[in-house]
Amino acid sequence: MKRVVVTGIGVISPIGSGKAQFWEALLEGKSGIRPVASFDTSAFPVHIGAEVLDFQAERYLRRLAPASMGRASQLATAAARLALDDSGLDLAHADRRAVGTSIGTTSGEPQFVELYNDLRKAGNVEQAPAEIFPRYSCSSISVHVATEFDLRGPCLTIPTACAAGNHAIGQGFDLIRTGRVEAVLAGGADSFSRIPYMGFARLGAIAPQRCQPFDRNRKGMVPGEGAGMILLESLDRAVARGARIYAEVLGYGLSCDSHHMTASHPEGDGAIRAMQAALKDSGVGIEDIDYISAHGTGTPTNDRVESTAMCRLFGERARHVPMSSIKSMVGHTMGAASAIEAAACTLALDTGWIPPTINHEESDPDFDLDYVPNQSRQTRPQVVLNNAYAFGGNNASVCFRRYEGGVV
Amino acid sequence: MAGRVVVTGAGVISPIAAGYEEFEQALYRGESGSKPSDRFQGATVAEVSGFEAQRWLGNKGIRVLDRGARMLCVAAQMALANQGLAEDGGPEVGMVCGTMFGSVHSIVSFDWSGLTEGPSYVNPMEFPNTVINSASGQAAIRYHLRGMNSSICSGFASSLYALHYAAECLRFGRARVLLAGGAEELCDESLQGFLRTGMMSPSGCARPFGADRDGTVPGEGSAMWVVESEESAAGRGAAPWLEICGFGARQEAQGLQHYSPRAEAAGDAIHMALAASSIAPEQVACVVASAGGSREGDAMEAAALRSVFGSRMDTLPVFAPKAALGEALGASGAFAAMAAGLALRRGSLPPTAGCGPVEYGMRVSPEPQPVEGEFALVNAFGCDGNCAALVLRLWKN
Repeated sequence: MKRVVVTGIGVISPIGSGKAQFWEALLEGKSGIRPVASFDTSAFPVHIGAEVLDFQAERYLRRLAPASMGRASQLATAAARLALDDSGLDLAHADRRAVGTSIGTTSGEPQFVELYNDLRKAGNVEQAPAEIFPRYSCSSISVHVATEFDLRGPCLTIPTACAAGNHAIGQGFDLIRTGRVEAVLAGGADSFSRIPYMGFARLGAIAPQRCQPFDRNRKGMVPGEGAGMILLESLDRAVARGARIYAEVLGYGLSCDSHHMTASHPEGDGAIRAMQAALKDSGVGIEDIDYISAHGTGTPTNDRVESTAMCRLFGERARHVPMSSIKSMVGHTMGAASAIEAAACTLALDTGWIPPTINHEESDPDFDLDYVPNQSRQTRPQVVLNNAYAFGGNNASVCFRRYEGGVV
Repeated sequence: MAGRVVVTGAGVISPIAAGYEEFEQALYRGESGSKPSDRFQGATVAEVSGFEAQRWLGNKGIRVLDRGARMLCVAAQMALANQGLAEDGGPEVGMVCGTMFGSVHSIVSFDWSGLTEGPSYVNPMEFPNTVINSASGQAAIRYHLRGMNSSICSGFASSLYALHYAAECLRFGRARVLLAGGAEELCDESLQGFLRTGMMSPSGCARPFGADRDGTVPGEGSAMWVVESEESAAGRGAAPWLEICGFGARQEAQGLQHYSPRAEAAGDAIHMALAASSIAPEQVACVVASAGGSREGDAMEAAALRSVFGSRMDTLPVFAPKAALGEALGASGAFAAMAAGLALRRGSLPPTAGCGPVEYGMRVSPEPQPVEGEFALVNAFGCDGNCAALVLRLWKN
């Protein structure tokens, strides 16, 4: 069985793009949440979102034209470019059949649905361009990334809603661990869309002003967009080419609540089983975990369930394991969220710093946990868990470890 | 990681039959699902005509399920019932489902309602169906599947990816039993996709590898297998039917609408699947093809098969299920795999319905063809460069 490491990081996010800018913003506690710019929210009860305002796809695309794809594909391709550049992998001399693409998403390319319905409403549905149909399928995201970089290995999109990024990293990890490929660009991407915004607004799940995960007065989540891509490689290949290694992927765990399409199991049953499965797959115990990247959406229910799961699984140790939610800054970037959070986990292991949960004012009296309130902290974590939960009761946890050198 | 992964049960709802025994009978009778549509102004499609999910699912809880979710639930329920697992799947039973357009019709409808009535008037009950994988989430709730739950979208190859990922997860011990396959509904939006991109056969007949083929016929349905480790099957006294062997997948990297005449990715995917199964091309007893009547797509598959099997293609029997089932996108790989499993068990390939004169020397036939051997190759190649191949083996103790 091959060991798998992270050798490249690419992030396009509402708080900044590129590894350095993203990480600096996270440690500074910068928020990317602002009034929604991409559509009119006057008919909505809420008006904030986390968009990537300065995004210029043409800066990142060389082979494909930005206009030939949807925005999620653009965001994914841009993040993939950043991750590949960061890794120093020389694709020109690599066996491209041994490089795969595995990308998670919640909504695929929803803007083509919006365009289709806009034309339909205007009575011009027959003017919908033929290209939007194939471009709509979420498989287009990974195909566009593979095409831009000429990656010939297995290519898949994983539409498992808000746990999709972790699912995609998990599949990429398996592909390398079994020796089927040498490297996988893995991550997640979603674009800002009125469709989930309408749904979350209708559920009353969107916060009016800011995102305050785990705070006593938290009022909801904030929809966002972005992409996170990491380059996974087998450890022996990474060492052989002298790559910079950010962290090792130890394993992952999946579960399903089988309880409700939108609400988590009240006792965190599925979340606990996903974490347990990840620990088992990774060969580590709860005593080894020293940071948790929470799903932490900021809704009253999610955060309560997540804290409950943490307390049930970690027992006495729960209070001593810092658990923060970068969604307080980045917003909830849907299928990209756990991929962007995975990037944060690997940077935490690499730099020794953990990002905060911002907007923390008053602790929830029901839980006495360390949510890393407001200030980043140098804790030198060794083994971290990245948790993600989704509609359909999908839970996914990925475990990363600091890489200390050596091949065996 | 070790052990073999076996298929012990099956459920299917398709344009030619519901239930896998009925599916087998219809397939071997050479029935075709292509006919003028009930739902789409007479367009010729391969749809599940008069689909009434209540027949299998009852009325309870059905209102929230869209057509795709209903199809997946019907196939899943049949597969679980077939294996005595329908009451409570439990924490170690999960699902891996391939799909291409997922719940697109629900997504379009939800957006339409917000656009025309205002965002405050959308039905919150319909919001959960706007996640692409809502069908597998709904099935998990309905059948108490608390194990891992994943969906995969790789175009036409989606459900072969799903079958492989399920096998991989079982080998890693991520689940004890998985329902694996694919589901796809045919809806207004996907039908328009077929029409607008020129994939539809103007003559209303998919003729795989046919000399006068002129496009494909849109399909739909769901096929799900119960897959588990050999030990799990033995432990509960279930008789394995097939073994899921090696998988190969490649991407052509030429964009969304291009079949490569050189068939590099398709040929490589087959080579990879054979190598992963530790078998030589000579050991393959039959091929279940991806061909669905596309001029370029079928030519690409023929070239890929020739590149791997050489002159043996003159005698190797080939079945092209899309002649009967149409192009069911994310479900087509699962249909093809199910046909391959049936062929191995019966020692006979089903007839390819109405294929007419055939090109490239492909041995597709309007009559059943004998299958001599234990390995079948299943192909799923798409115009988006996603090429996958899976090897199945008839189970022998």
